[in-house]
Amino acid sequence: MTSIQDAATPPVAGPGGAADDTLRPARRRALRYLALYLLALVFVSPLLYMLVTSFKTRAEAAGTTPSWIPDPFTLQAYGHLLAAPDTPVLTWFANSLIAAGLNAALVVATASLAAYPLARMEFRGKRVVFGLVIAMLMVPGVILVIPNYLIVSELGWLNSLTAIIVPTAASAFGVFFMRQFFVNLPGELEEAALLDGANRFQVFVQVVVPLARPAMATLALLAFLTNWNDFLWPVYVLFSPETRTLPAGLATLQGANQVRYDVLMAGAVIASVPVMLLFSFLQRFIIEGVSRSGLKG
Amino acid sequence: MSPSTAHAVDAPAPGASAPATGGRRHGRSPIAPAPATPWLFLAPFLALFGTFVLLPAGLGVWISLHDWDYTFVSHPFVGLRNYLDLLDPSSTSGGPFWESMRATGVFTASSVPLLLVVPLLVALMMNARFPGRNFLRAVYFAPYVLGVAVISVLWRYLLDTNIGPVNHYLGLVGLPDATAWLTSQPAAWVSLVAVTVWWTLGFNAVIYLAALQDIPAELYEAAQVDGASVAQRFWNVTLPGLRPVLMFVTVNTIIMSANMFGQSYLMTEGGPGRSTRTAIMRIADTGLSSFQMGSAAAMSYVLTLVLMLLSGVVFWLFRDRDAVRTRANVRTREKVRS
Amino acid sequence: MTKHLSRRGAARTLTGTAVVALGALALSACSSGGAAQREAAEFSATYDGPAVTLSYWNGFTGGDGPFMQGLVDRFNEEHDNITVESNTVEWAEFYQKLPAAVTAGEGPDVGVMHVEQLSSNAARGVIDPVDPLLDGLGLTADDFTSAIWDAIEHDGARYGVPLDVHSLAMYYNTEHFEDAGIAEAPTDAESFAEALDALQEAGYEHPFWMPARWPGHLMFLSGQWQGGGEPYAADGSAATFDSPEGVASLEWMRSVVDDGYSPGDVAQDAQYVAFKNGETSITFDGIWQINDLEESGLPYAAAPVPAVLGEPAVWASSHQFFLPHQQSPDADKVAAAQVFIAWMSEHSGDWAQAGMIPARESVRTSGVLDGTVQEPIAEAIDTMRFLPPVPGLGTIQSETLEVAVADGVLGVRSPEAALSEESGRATSLMEENLARFGG
Repeated sequence: MTSIQDAATPPVAGPGGAADDTLRPARRRALRYLALYLLALVFVSPLLYMLVTSFKTRAEAAGTTPSWIPDPFTLQAYGHLLAAPDTPVLTWFANSLIAAGLNAALVVATASLAAYPLARMEFRGKRVVFGLVIAMLMVPGVILVIPNYLIVSELGWLNSLTAIIVPTAASAFGVFFMRQFFVNLPGELEEAALLDGANRFQVFVQVVVPLARPAMATLALLAFLTNWNDFLWPVYVLFSPETRTLPAGLATLQGANQVRYDVLMAGAVIASVPVMLLFSFLQRFIIEGVSRSGLKG
Repeated sequence: MSPSTAHAVDAPAPGASAPATGGRRHGRSPIAPAPATPWLFLAPFLALFGTFVLLPAGLGVWISLHDWDYTFVSHPFVGLRNYLDLLDPSSTSGGPFWESMRATGVFTASSVPLLLVVPLLVALMMNARFPGRNFLRAVYFAPYVLGVAVISVLWRYLLDTNIGPVNHYLGLVGLPDATAWLTSQPAAWVSLVAVTVWWTLGFNAVIYLAALQDIPAELYEAAQVDGASVAQRFWNVTLPGLRPVLMFVTVNTIIMSANMFGQSYLMTEGGPGRSTRTAIMRIADTGLSSFQMGSAAAMSYVLTLVLMLLSGVVFWLFRDRDAVRTRANVRTREKVRS
Repeated sequence: MTKHLSRRGAARTLTGTAVVALGALALSACSSGGAAQREAAEFSATYDGPAVTLSYWNGFTGGDGPFMQGLVDRFNEEHDNITVESNTVEWAEFYQKLPAAVTAGEGPDVGVMHVEQLSSNAARGVIDPVDPLLDGLGLTADDFTSAIWDAIEHDGARYGVPLDVHSLAMYYNTEHFEDAGIAEAPTDAESFAEALDALQEAGYEHPFWMPARWPGHLMFLSGQWQGGGEPYAADGSAATFDSPEGVASLEWMRSVVDDGYSPGDVAQDAQYVAFKNGETSITFDGIWQINDLEESGLPYAAAPVPAVLGEPAVWASSHQFFLPHQQSPDADKVAAAQVFIAWMSEHSGDWAQAGMIPARESVRTSGVLDGTVQEPIAEAIDTMRFLPPVPGLGTIQSETLEVAVADGVLGVRSPEAALSEESGRATSLMEENLARFGG
């Protein structure tokens, strides 16, 4: 407990004022970080086990004694998965990538455009629009599921990726997020550009967007992750194997009559590795972006 | 310097005398936009927002007043019957619905406190400079990147009563090794809550961490000069520093927990019995499997109402505490200055 | 002034979007979906039109899957201008998606479903009658057991072309039986109890894992029928699975756990995995698992489910080919789909290799079952029982009876309490459905 409260003091502030803090040997600090590493290892071990199991035989994966080194090491689970015509994992993967990518682009574009006047312009109806955005931010998405199913059905989008990309792109959160960023942006550059005779769109594109890139990237990443992880909606609006996204596909892999844990884990790994890679390159960016634009009310 | 520091906000805007904006706050342009301009900016978003948020929010009411079977030609108007049925626990829809609301309540009440505290502990641990810190931070965030389908499929395997590693290792350290983690109660709730905390703690932790890094180091220094203990520094500097995100994190976590679906759907299939069938599962089942969309729409409004009330309570609580904390914060600063 | 106009214009566009969407919904109320009586497609024995690709939906995710795919591959090879593409999903998901997909105009061209689901989907207008197809194939009541022939009818029309019959079977590990000195498969309560005791004495601690979920409810139904009870009124007006025979059936299932023959809280599918791993000696499961077991190399045999609770009776179902309703039918596809069904029906003898029992009597008795694992089970075809063709019963059963069985086996509720509570709920739901689907 003490060590955790200690950590509340950032080291930038230098060693703590209390006597034991100043005298604390480096060894003790090293031990603390070692403990952190061990904890992290336990924390991540389920993911490691998933990876390991995907290289096991069917029998070993269903065995009662967990093993951390596949014996024999085999790719048969992946082979089975990629060969099965009913579980086109690569198609699901492409679908997820397309849907999440386009959805993120749509969210960033529409939310940034909408947030700008809400942050920078005075006009009649502004309070109504912003009020609606805030209200819908508070409303849980569940009330939209049933009616949106009917709307999407009428638009002829059931069983198509459009149903995954477009409806969730109406992001009240995105507008709120971008507006917070714009409000905190110093306005001098924009004013200078306006006085130079640029119109509002030119100011937005040439002055604001370059400044807002970190926030837009952060929003894009959050939207991408949200869409990639979305489960309920794809499960119900996608019917055919070739239109499924990865989460919906994984659910169908978990067949009722025939559980093949090696294959399931292989599917889970295929669904994980790419986002993990993406994330490991961009995680700093997410955190820095969030702290810069701030989720401060 | 960060653009969001207090100094930037307080500074008067240049050219603040422009009549159109009144110049009340910094950042407003001195030149009034053409009336159409803001709407052109807003148009793409409003088209989406209108079609997929506002329209369905209203359309849902209309649906909920009908016996709306998706596969049927006619959708007879039934007035408030769907709602009255929900309020009658002996009806075929009311009983199971409240049962599922109770399940959602159990899950929310047990997961939200953990999801507020555990990520804070993680963020505090991570808020220090040490070798491999960024890597560890990534490790704790990693499960969240994976999505509910992957983690549910994984944990259903790990928690299997007979062949799952969890029971095996529990047995090795001398604990009961035959717990039916997903098919008995209360083990199923323990599993769902624990897996959810494991899965999503990184999200809240990242938000906390961002807020922690925004707390000016001078405040800690000042508090130390003032002789504040570790606990006092936590209560008087760290927590007030987190205040801006705390309400967001709380409301967001409550809404996320109350929307729990995938974990139950994939790990316990709502079982044992119907005990972990959450309200969202019930709504999806009723509306999209049995196609009773009227009843399902009514359920979603009732759930929404409950959630709005809950959020209102949180807002109210925080508003109150904000004032207290701000006062405490001010006291610290005053002490420092004197 | 132009500014005023354009602001109103923006507002109008927005309202316009909403109005269009609302209007479309209102229109749809008149055009899509519906329980109206469907026109049956005309039969054609051959197809020589342009090349078509048929989307074929089924739920053969088990050991039967590869055999169905093999048949489809053969059909594709023999027909240059027809390509059949399978979409295989878990049955539960299949029944959830099919009505939505067909209503949305995104349904398949042909599919297979269980006999007890035909009436629900016929009532919802999801599938079309197949009488001309049956006539064209020369199939009549004489070709099937009367239980099947009656079960495919809804409102005076027939909606399915029977492919097979499949029931629960008792699988046992022959090595375990040898160790325990059991010479013959148990057939009744006494011999079954003796077998369990002998297996325990031979060192098999949990010889018979009792599943709380699939296929627990099928074991329950078999038990109730063995005792002479009926789970549902035949006219769909009431659930009766809490009858004394039903309670006896669930009490017996729970007693297997209480008496120590099974661990408590068996997770989904765990009993089957355990059987395949040689951890348990006996399991009841569908005959569609035969190929999966063959592949596993386990020393096993199959026998009819013993009549533990009375006279021999066992839950059974039947796979039925159906023609989904098409919002805008493509005559070529409809014709090709019928050619596919006809071919599959004629080759249903080969389907026996998937562990199934062909539905057509002429095929069944033609020797295709000789020497197969399921031969002894096929001989008991007269003891096979089907659920009554009541629209919506499948959903109700999974929400009530299956929950009661799971709770009873897990010991969450007493068998009697679980069954009577859920049966009451099921009856209310059935009454609502009678009104909804018009009796």
